[in-house]
Amino acid sequence: MILVVAEQREGVMNRVSWEAVVAAQEMAAQGFGPIKVVVIGSTVAGVADEVAAAEVAEVLVLDHPALEPYTSDGFVRALTQVVDAESPDVVVFPYTYQTRDCAATLATRHQRTLVTDCIGIKSGPNGVLFVRPMFQGKFVADIAVRGPVPHFVSFQTAAYRADAVARGVATAPTRRVEIELDVADIRQRPEAPFKEAKQAVDLTQAERIVAVGRGIKGQEYLPVVQQLAKALGAEVAASRPICDTGWLPMDRQVGSSGQTVAPKLYLAIGISGAIQHLVGMKGARTIVAVNKDPDAPIFEVADYGIVGDLFEVVPALTAALGD
Amino acid sequence: MGGGPAGLSAALRLTALQQQCDRAPLSIAVLEKAREHGAHLLSGAVLDPSALDELIPDWKERGAPLDVPVSDDRIYFLTQKRKLRFPITPPPLRNHGNYVISLNRFIKWLAEQVESAGVDVFTGFSGSEVLFEGDQVVGVRTGDRGVDREGNPKSNFEPGVDIKALVTIFADGVRGNLTKTLISRYSLDDNRLPQSYAVGIKELWEVPIDRVNPGAVIHTMGYPLRSDEFGGGFIYALSKGCLSVGFVAGLDYRDPMFDLHEAFQRFKRHSFVSRLLAGGQMVRYGAKALPEGGWYALPRCHVNGGLIIGDAAGFLNSMRLKGIHLAMRSGMYAAEAAFEAIGSGDVSQASLTRFQTLVDSGQIRAELYPVRNVHQSFSHGLWAGLFYSGFSLLTGGWWFRDPMPAHAGHERIERVDTVGGRRLGSGVGAVAIDRVLTFDKLTNVHYSGTRHDENQPTHLLVQDTDICRTRCREEYRNPCTRFCPANVYEMIDTGDGPGETILKINASNCLHCKACDIMDPYQIIDWVPPEGGGGPKYEGM
Repeated sequence: MILVVAEQREGVMNRVSWEAVVAAQEMAAQGFGPIKVVVIGSTVAGVADEVAAAEVAEVLVLDHPALEPYTSDGFVRALTQVVDAESPDVVVFPYTYQTRDCAATLATRHQRTLVTDCIGIKSGPNGVLFVRPMFQGKFVADIAVRGPVPHFVSFQTAAYRADAVARGVATAPTRRVEIELDVADIRQRPEAPFKEAKQAVDLTQAERIVAVGRGIKGQEYLPVVQQLAKALGAEVAASRPICDTGWLPMDRQVGSSGQTVAPKLYLAIGISGAIQHLVGMKGARTIVAVNKDPDAPIFEVADYGIVGDLFEVVPALTAALGD
Repeated sequence: MGGGPAGLSAALRLTALQQQCDRAPLSIAVLEKAREHGAHLLSGAVLDPSALDELIPDWKERGAPLDVPVSDDRIYFLTQKRKLRFPITPPPLRNHGNYVISLNRFIKWLAEQVESAGVDVFTGFSGSEVLFEGDQVVGVRTGDRGVDREGNPKSNFEPGVDIKALVTIFADGVRGNLTKTLISRYSLDDNRLPQSYAVGIKELWEVPIDRVNPGAVIHTMGYPLRSDEFGGGFIYALSKGCLSVGFVAGLDYRDPMFDLHEAFQRFKRHSFVSRLLAGGQMVRYGAKALPEGGWYALPRCHVNGGLIIGDAAGFLNSMRLKGIHLAMRSGMYAAEAAFEAIGSGDVSQASLTRFQTLVDSGQIRAELYPVRNVHQSFSHGLWAGLFYSGFSLLTGGWWFRDPMPAHAGHERIERVDTVGGRRLGSGVGAVAIDRVLTFDKLTNVHYSGTRHDENQPTHLLVQDTDICRTRCREEYRNPCTRFCPANVYEMIDTGDGPGETILKINASNCLHCKACDIMDPYQIIDWVPPEGGGGPKYEGM
């Protein structure tokens, strides 16, 4: 049996937790047993229902007021009890700071092996092989874990695609697990999460991005693209010149001196496509470019290109989405 | 100050001197603004190993990365369509016994030698100012870290630290910001010729492995430069199909529309060069200024408690197109002068004059003095320069007026309206940019690996940006947008009417070449070091 630890924050399932579910589904497809997902936190029933839609055998709800906010003592104590009760063969963690913080302790408590930062799995003669890079990525090793189960494993972010999660034919049963957890046993006293800047946006988490470049000509025209972003449910990003002039904050900059993003959909509006920008977004699944210069390098990476005036094209797109 | 060939040679020589003597050990440190050893260093480069032979006699056993011995020297004169090979290679350009190297790799190795000799080389620290006590240099202050655009401390703020030293050796490179303050404070350039500069840009190419013999050294003159413009192209073949392709132009051109980067694209499109590069790939890009003025342009290099060496002083032989060995030698001399001065308990200017004595009695003067007027003669055009270069070989550098008069390069740039009927720009029409053979500046900049934290104060201080949109636009059409090889300076439409533009500084593109500080016709651009660690990331350059 595979046990997946699913993290959430404020009632929203963490995207990389879905990646962990997908990894588990691939293991299950190779015959390594049914999947149980444990959703951990405080008031997580909503997330549990969401997970139950996926193709898993069971969803365990580990709901305790002392699990919010995250502490390593709280998580280790709670998960130890779940692992003992369920006796899984493999415990899969998502790629998060919390995993980095508590997975090693949890594995040590059980005197079992932890294989971190895997990028895939393979079927071996004596069970599953975990694939992970070594020596700063110079080698890729296939790890076969010997010794008694459970084995603990974490997968690197983006090793599996969150949107590839298989849906179940029926909703999986949900079960609440009871644990004993005394607040007095938790030694850590977390402070408010650190944020470097106010309203920092994490563009790497966005599924859709509308990015704007110099073609917008002036700050006063930004609403043109902001309306399109709103209609698409997308984040607004920009190329360097826009953020450098202060028209948009620096945390919205995509490119070599900004963020690197890989959303499902990336709309480049009035962006010529200097290589410094391309390196930050060429991993996007679908790239749509709007530019009036047919020779702009952005069209070399775009899946769909519209040669035209953004002030005509973008409002038309927004209007079409509104219908 | 500065972990290049001069600074590292000084440090290594100091450790050697210390070992020969039973005095209390000195504490020696090298500060370097690049994040990694050698990351801000590039050159052609052909290395004359004479200084290295003295500094590290067993460099071969220690695995010095002197890539390939020079196998072949060729000089061509290019016209737009043709090439003409010089029948003989003039003696100063004969490179038998020299090596084609990557300076950046060589310095990584040299830094390892210095560190294993017990010297701390601190990378990622820039020197923001010189510390004085009275008339004495007593050290440097490193730059602050973690300051935002408006100058406010960020959450990771760390103030600079004062580093005090008995002797501070300034090896901060061509037009170094610390040396610049020393020269003006102590009037070190009184009765010297103004320094003349050139700027070079270079690309590293990977071409089919049998295209050019490793160790081939090719220099070109002529096209696309006009005969009143100083400079030329170079192609040096390293091993494994790696070509160092570059172009150097004097920062004393008259035509305000001249653009070195554009000239370089024309050079690459010349059939001679494009055939060598066909099927290859550009893998790196970089730029650097060079001090070309020679013997008479050297400032006084010793002050109370300080010495100036390497490119910062101008130890470069422009006739041989070489400076690395002189930089190293000046570092070794500085180590000797500083060591003796500290031993005698007197680090005053008078005591450090020993450095000048070593320069005068040794290899540096022997090499620079006979060619003291050569670079200046090129200010009268290519033909006059070539004639005088040959003449000086016979006369030991003598001329009717010695020193031959010279002007600062930026004073020679002409106003657009006085250039007259001469054509503007480096050629007719724009160069086609195909991003295979030719590149725009911004794409090139990417291949330098340059990086600066965006949220920091600009490190290019323009004293009066009103001049840019008024006088400079009229008189010179904003030459900063052309002499900068990294697209740092842009004039952006304000939208207030036709031709209304405003200066935008893309400081994070900067390659630390200093061309702007040198060439600005109004001399109002001041290059100061950005936050330590920022800058290009040269590899194999």
